[in-house]
Amino acid sequence: MQYHPLINFIVASGVPLQTVALLLMLPIVVTLVAFFRQVIGIKAFGIYTPSIITFALLAFDPNGIKYGIAIFIAVIVVGTLSRLLMKKFRLLYLPRVAITVSIVSLAILFILVIGGMTQRTGLAAVSIFPLLIMITQAEKYIATQIEKGSRVALILALETLIISVVGYFLISWHALTTLILQYPWIILFTFVINFSLGKWTGLRVTEYLRFRKIIRHLQ
Amino acid sequence: MFDFFKQSNRLLGMNARNLEYIRPHNRKRGMEMADSKLLCKRVLKKNSLAAPALIAKIKNREELEAFDWNTLPDSFALKPNRGFGGEGILVVYARKKGRLDAWVKADGAIITVEDLHAHISNIFDGSFSLANSPDIAFFEERLKLLKLFKPYSFKGIPDIRVIVFNRVPVMAMLRLPTRASDGKANLQQGAIGVGIDLATGTTTTAIIGKGHIIEYIPGTRLVLSGIKIPYWKEILRMSVEAQTISGLGFLGADISIDRDRGPVILELNARPGLSIQLANLAGLKDRLKRVSGLKIKTTERGMRVGMNLFGGEIEEEIEELSGKRVIGSTEKIKLIGKDGKEIEVEAKIDTGADSTSIDTELAKELGFGDVLKFFETIPKPLSTNREELRVLSDEYDAKYRSAHSDLQAITFTYSANGLSMRPKIEISLLIDSLTIPARVTVVDRASLEYPVIIGRKNLQKFLVDVSK
Repeated sequence: MQYHPLINFIVASGVPLQTVALLLMLPIVVTLVAFFRQVIGIKAFGIYTPSIITFALLAFDPNGIKYGIAIFIAVIVVGTLSRLLMKKFRLLYLPRVAITVSIVSLAILFILVIGGMTQRTGLAAVSIFPLLIMITQAEKYIATQIEKGSRVALILALETLIISVVGYFLISWHALTTLILQYPWIILFTFVINFSLGKWTGLRVTEYLRFRKIIRHLQ
Repeated sequence: MFDFFKQSNRLLGMNARNLEYIRPHNRKRGMEMADSKLLCKRVLKKNSLAAPALIAKIKNREELEAFDWNTLPDSFALKPNRGFGGEGILVVYARKKGRLDAWVKADGAIITVEDLHAHISNIFDGSFSLANSPDIAFFEERLKLLKLFKPYSFKGIPDIRVIVFNRVPVMAMLRLPTRASDGKANLQQGAIGVGIDLATGTTTTAIIGKGHIIEYIPGTRLVLSGIKIPYWKEILRMSVEAQTISGLGFLGADISIDRDRGPVILELNARPGLSIQLANLAGLKDRLKRVSGLKIKTTERGMRVGMNLFGGEIEEEIEELSGKRVIGSTEKIKLIGKDGKEIEVEAKIDTGADSTSIDTELAKELGFGDVLKFFETIPKPLSTNREELRVLSDEYDAKYRSAHSDLQAITFTYSANGLSMRPKIEISLLIDSLTIPARVTVVDRASLEYPVIIGRKNLQKFLVDVSK
C-alpha cells in the first residue's frame, strides 16, 4: 500500500502507524458526533463520551461490537441497580458515586471471570484501558440520572451507544483508513463540515418527529 | 411533502434558537440573573416587580449547622439557587400537628428537620445544578393556589410561561402540574401545556407531556380551552418589564398567580424551551421574525403589538365554527357606488336598525346625485295615519320606481317629526373583506356621529362583538 509521503515521514520519525491512523480518525469521529447532534438531534453525553467509547469499542477488537456493547450495557444496568440500592442511604454525592463505580468494577470483574470460565477467552483477555473507560462512564450516567432523571439518562446512554457503534464502523472501515493514510489532507474537510454545522439553523430530524403532529395544524 | 417542509419552516428549532436568538440577544449579565434565582429576586424587587418573598438563605455548612429551624413558618418552599427544570424543590404545606420540627408535604409525607438538613446538603453538593457545581439553598414563601386553577392542577401550582422578544410578548402557555409530573409544572415530566391567545388571555389548545394533543384533563370532563386567565394584562406587562430590566433580549418569564398577591414572577429563563409551540399549535420562528427589528419604546407599546399580532385565534375559531365573521360595534367599511366609486367610512353596526342607511352627501359622492335631485321633485303626501302607510307605499312605488333607474324604492317612516319619505338606492358594502349588495336608505345624517349605520338586513353573515 502506498501511503502519503507525509505519513511515511511521520512513521519514519518513530510514531506508530496505528497512532497516526487513530489521531487522523479522531476529527472524523468528533465531526460525526457533531453531525448527530445538530442535524439528526441525537444528543448523547456530550462529545467526549461517545468519542472515547468509539475508541474503546475499537480496542475490544476482534470482537469489538459484541463484547463492547455487552460491557457497556452491563455498566448501565449495574449502575442503575446500585443507584437504586444507594438511594435510601442518603449519602453525599461523591462517596455515593465512589461506591457505585466500585460495584460496577466488581461486576465487570465477575463478568470477565464468567467469560473465562465459559471459554470466551476474547472477553477475559480484554485489555484494561477500554474496560476502565467503560466503567468510569458510570459516573457520567449517574450524574445525568440525578440531574435529568432516569429516563433521560437511559435515553442519552442509548444515544451514546448508537453514535459510538456508528463511529466504530466508520473507523474500522478499512477503505476509509487507507484513504486517509493516502490523502491525509482530506481531514481538513471536517473543518468545513463543522463550520457549516456550526451555522446550521434548520430543524433537526428529531424535531421534525417531535413537531410532526402540529405541522399540519400550522396555518 | 414539500408543503410539510415549507410549513415546518415556521417552527423554531434548537439550532436556530441557540444561534439566532440566544447567542446574539442574551448577554452574560442577563444569563447570570436567569441562572441565579436569588439574584433574579433581588433585581426584580429593586424594579418593583413582584416575586415570592425570601424567608432565609443558607450559603454554607456553618450556616446550615447554626440555622435556627424554629424560625421557619408553617409553610414554605426550599429551593436550590441554581436548580433547573424544577428539580430539587421541596414544598411543605403545614406543620405536622403537635410538632415544631416536622412539616407535611402535599402528598402527606412528613418532612423532618433531618430531611431538610440532608436536602440542603445535597443542594450544596450541586445535585440539582447544571454540571454539579456547588450551590446554595434558600427558603421562600409558598404561593397559594388560585381557586380558579384548583380543579385543573394536581398538587402543585400552575404557572404561565411568556416568551418575550424585543419587548413584545410573542407566545404564552399555561402549565398545569399533573399526577405524572408529580406536581411540577414541567412538560418534560408530563405536565399539561395549554396555549394562550395573547390578546384575550384565554386558553386555546393543549398538549400533555411531550406533545400529545388533548382537549380535556385526562380522566375528567374538564375542558382545557376557554379558561380565562385573570390579571392577563398585568402578566404581560410584568413579562415585558422583566425582559427590559434583565438585559435578556429573548426571554421566557415564568409567572404564577398567588391567591392573595396576584401575579408574581417565579423565575426568568434565558433558554426557554420549544414545547410552547406544541401547546399553541403555532411556530415561534414565524412570530419572532415578525417582531424583530421593530422599535418598541414603551412596555405598553410592546404589549399592544404582541396582543394585536398574536391574538384573535379564538375569534378565528368562532368564525370557523359559525361560518360567520366577527366584527365590532363600529367598523371601517367601504361603500361601492356607481361606476365602481369607492368611499371608506367608519360605520356604526346597529343591530337595532332594520336596514342600512347612509348620509345624503355620501350618496351624492357615490354618483347618486341625479336620482336624489329627481327624488326632490316628488311631492310629499299629506300626513296620513299609520294604517294607510302601506297603501301609500305601494302607490308611490308603482308611480315613481320606473321613473328613474337608480330609484329602488320609496319608504315612509313615522318619527318624532311626523311622516318622512326616503329614497332607497342600491350599492355594495365591503365589510371585513366581504362584499354585500345592499339596498340602503338615504338620509341626512350630517348632524349625527356616524355617516353610515349598518342594519340587520345586511348583517346576516356577521356576529357582533361589542367589546371590539
